[in-house]
Amino acid sequence: MALMINKKYNEQDQIWNLELSGEVDIYTVEKLKETFNKIIEEKKETIRIDANNLDYIDSTGLGVLIGAFKKLKIEEKTIIIYNIKPSIKKLLNITGLDKIFTIEG
Amino acid sequence: MVDVKEQINMNKKSNDVITLSVPNKPEYVSVIRLTVSGIANRMGFDIEEIEDIKVAISEACTNAITHGICEEENKFVVDFFTEEEKLTIYVYDNGKGCLSSNIKTPNIGELKEGGLGVFIIKSLMDDVEITSNNGKGTVIKMTKRVGDDV
Repeated sequence: MALMINKKYNEQDQIWNLELSGEVDIYTVEKLKETFNKIIEEKKETIRIDANNLDYIDSTGLGVLIGAFKKLKIEEKTIIIYNIKPSIKKLLNITGLDKIFTIEG
Repeated sequence: MVDVKEQINMNKKSNDVITLSVPNKPEYVSVIRLTVSGIANRMGFDIEEIEDIKVAISEACTNAITHGICEEENKFVVDFFTEEEKLTIYVYDNGKGCLSSNIKTPNIGELKEGGLGVFIIKSLMDDVEITSNNGKGTVIKMTKRVGDDV
């Protein structure tokens, strides 16, 4: 299964809205990495991820999120994730990343 | 009545070995995930357990692909041992055994992009053994017991 990424910058709230659908693994992670690099280069603003259709993510994808978070943190921006599936929430919990990113819902 | 009988036969548990020989290519990790969910589903694992096994096996395969010999013509091997109450998975790579056995709990204070994989495997599976033989590659052995979720 592939990974689909929908990105949109919200001028009013100065926030990136990112919608991820599908699976992030060693195969699809490059696409995620490219997207994050591109949008952070364009505007270093908080990234809000809708994970409603994100079925799967593993350490390769979490690594990209951590990398992006480190760049945003310098500017006091963050990563928000919402609509997370239980299996992914569990992964964020065991890795302690739920305390790093902002988890909504 | 016939239906019920067939159902029972379908769920009959036996000790079997399934072996996959997989090209060292990232696109096949999702195929391995699909394979293991089929096997685990057949054995009676619940959805949460199946998700755990899928993540763990992906992490092991990602390690095999990234730390094994990085030539795409090469393959790595995954063995599934199904027993009545547990599934044991072996992932073998042919790399230099560079995976350290010294795996620490990730330190959230100093975030790193890598090094989470083995920690995740250990958190999600019931038993994990990692053997690195000098020059002969790494074997990750992991076991999940049916209905034994913490």
